Amino acid sequence: MMNKGNRMSIASLKRLPLLRGQEAGLIGVILGLSIAFSFVNPSFLTTDNLRNVLVAVAVVGIMSIGQCFVIIAREIDLSVGSVMGLSGLCGAWLMAAGLNPWLAIVLAIGVGATAGLVTGLIVVVFRVNSFIATLGMLSVARGLTQVISGGLPIMVDPSVMFIGQGTFFDIPVQVLIFVGLGIICQFILTRSVVGQRIVAVGDNDEAARLSGIPINTTRIAVFVASGALAAIAGIVYTTQVSVAEAQAGTGLELDVIAAVVIGGASLSGGRGSILGAMLGAYLLGALRNAFILLELSPFLQQMSVGMVIVLAAIFDQFRQGSFRHANVMPSFLHIFRSRTR
Amino acid sequence: MQDRVERMSIEDEIALEVVSVDKRFGSVHALSNVSMRFRRGRVTALLGENGAGKSTLIRVCSGVHQPDSGEVLVSGKAERMSGSLAAKRMGIAVVQQEPQLVSQMTVAENIFLARLGSRAGTGLHHRTGLVGEAETLLAGLGLDKELPDLGGRCAGLSAAERQLVEIARALAADPHVLFLDEPNSSLTRKETDRLFDIVRRLRDRGTAVVLVSHRLGEVYEISDEVIVMRDGRKVGEGSVDALPKQQAIQLMAGERLKAALDLAGSTAPTAPVPGAVPVLSVRDASGLAFSNVSFDIQAGEIVGMAGLVGSGRTEIIRAIIGADPLFGGDIRLNGKSVRFGSPRSALRGGIAFIAEERRTSVFYGHSISFNLTSNVLERFGRFGFFSERKRRAFAQESANEIGVKADNVDVGIRTLSGGNQQKVLLARALASNPSLLILDEPTRGVDVRTKADMYRQIRTLAHEKGLAVWFVSSELDEILQLADRIVVVRGGEVVDSLARGPEAARVVASALGEKIEDAATTVLTSGMA
Repeated sequence: MMNKGNRMSIASLKRLPLLRGQEAGLIGVILGLSIAFSFVNPSFLTTDNLRNVLVAVAVVGIMSIGQCFVIIAREIDLSVGSVMGLSGLCGAWLMAAGLNPWLAIVLAIGVGATAGLVTGLIVVVFRVNSFIATLGMLSVARGLTQVISGGLPIMVDPSVMFIGQGTFFDIPVQVLIFVGLGIICQFILTRSVVGQRIVAVGDNDEAARLSGIPINTTRIAVFVASGALAAIAGIVYTTQVSVAEAQAGTGLELDVIAAVVIGGASLSGGRGSILGAMLGAYLLGALRNAFILLELSPFLQQMSVGMVIVLAAIFDQFRQGSFRHANVMPSFLHIFRSRTR
Repeated sequence: MQDRVERMSIEDEIALEVVSVDKRFGSVHALSNVSMRFRRGRVTALLGENGAGKSTLIRVCSGVHQPDSGEVLVSGKAERMSGSLAAKRMGIAVVQQEPQLVSQMTVAENIFLARLGSRAGTGLHHRTGLVGEAETLLAGLGLDKELPDLGGRCAGLSAAERQLVEIARALAADPHVLFLDEPNSSLTRKETDRLFDIVRRLRDRGTAVVLVSHRLGEVYEISDEVIVMRDGRKVGEGSVDALPKQQAIQLMAGERLKAALDLAGSTAPTAPVPGAVPVLSVRDASGLAFSNVSFDIQAGEIVGMAGLVGSGRTEIIRAIIGADPLFGGDIRLNGKSVRFGSPRSALRGGIAFIAEERRTSVFYGHSISFNLTSNVLERFGRFGFFSERKRRAFAQESANEIGVKADNVDVGIRTLSGGNQQKVLLARALASNPSLLILDEPTRGVDVRTKADMYRQIRTLAHEKGLAVWFVSSELDEILQLADRIVVVRGGEVVDSLARGPEAARVVASALGEKIEDAATTVLTSGMA
């Protein structure tokens, strides 16, 4: 009886939107690791260090918000790193050309959104797999960045540098942007018509089409969102380092996808949460930070990040119950026997 | 004489035996202490409503699930099957209800798909050779004329053709025990007859065939033995003579029989107002597999479209709602000429549609509430946002109204039985307040009681609330019970249109290639007269 009562209360806890599934697990892992690391190096669990980690993950985190929409819609966006570089550079270039810095920022976000729109149209109109379409966009955007910059770095207008360097009530502005966008987007995902359409298209696109959901518009929308968020990340990064250079954001797409997957989104679509993606980005950042504070080899750091990604995916399979562990060992044994016979 | 004795001994041999099997999924007791035997050279019918445990039993017998306790004996030997591949090696084959084909492979490759599993990496893979082998196999089974081009891809096949490929694949392994899970739910009478011919031939060769189907009339034609399950238990077994159909229905439904027998009782259709504008009027429409189709549907009327698979009935629907191209013709909705470019614009125009195959309609990863409200979210809020509270309340209310059996609407739709999923889809279609409801095979693979429930609801919607209903079915009983007016389609053309009654019963029966000999049908048609 007592036992049953306990199970009931855990079940009702799970209904709290914040503590569902992977997010709850992630918060647990982050807390556990933080406490463990703080025994080795007490400076890990200080407000200062928390701020450091958040600042470090803001750029990847903002992009992972957009990527999360894309992955839930059962697509993928490999171009985020390049689009981030392109938008950041366009912003700085427009500022250098004498444009009002705020207008330049708006236009830069427009550049990112346009890149997303182009990808989306290619995916929808020509039915090109998004992996290929965005792989193309990855190269095109990076090339364009180099053409525009001519290989030279461009200084950012000092009046907007606070975006990447300033603080508001002692909280870095970029962290506020990251968290604010995350909250807004989580709300859009779970409480807006568009958000639920994204989920529906990702789960079963034929069902979505037959039940009257505009699947093409929805698909384009996720790429536009991803492009625009990559552009915001580009602005944040550029203002943080005060200078726009053509190689900004190279390779970040892998971190971004990893963060989303760690956050519990399924690459087969229909499932995922923005909050999870943000926590995933935080976990990756915290691990990197910990390896620096613990003075461990950067190679070990890279290995552990890789293991975390795979472990998160395995954990997710367990949670889904789709991992039929009962069957795995016998079939391995069978293969072993038939090979050795 | 010698032959006869030998045959007897084969028949007595038990091919597969299940002993006191228990299986739980969380709090659901799917099988409790189930024991049964399947003999060689016999066709055993496994009967039960949705959720009775038939499918779980098949999965336990075919190695997909492991029993919590009890054991499975193959040819008298206790076996622990670690997966479906192991079961296949022991000669146990299953034909699934929803065909699982690799759509980019050819028909022949799909038939011999198991070879990829058993001979990984050895030998080259000959496309043309496979086609030849498939031809030989199918000729031996008498299936050679049924299947489309063996070298063609499976992507474009119809539901019935997919089912046939699935059956051919199961037979390719030459199994001792063959499970057929609703093999004929998408087949017409004629196709079913051919399937049953094959089953008889297999039986005579000594295969133990286990048949699961909701179409009792057909099941009784072919089975030697009957096993009835209810709520995860075996509630009856015997030969077809010892356990007649009426008794089996009683055992299946248990206490709930009364509801099922209510089936024939119906509200009278409201007489159409003379000169009223029909809700849907189709004139000379042509499309992918039909031409010159004309018919009307009035408000408050249930129109049943009878026709074989491949007669063009599904294509007519898809063209009119804009899922497939419409080449020509005049479509009027409430008197206004319309031409829909997508199911979405049809929905906005007031046409709701439920597709033939559930897998193309259900969002499997989500809750009842999500599935039920997916196209009406705008209603629960404004500026593109909605209130979860309002959505849930709406979902709960319409799920209750339509009689979905679940604890609450947050439950994943995957956990519901097929009949309950279909009810959720009906509720979703109705949520948009359509003026015309289109149902393609509305009760495919749904048990008797849920069927009766759905018929009652559809009748109420039409006859009391004035909804126009257009449904397509290849089940004679369904057409005769549900339709006020029947439109017969053959070869892509409307060949007849008539009010229901004994005359209609004969015409439709001949159109579907069915004879009215079934006692239930006779009672029903005389009741309607």
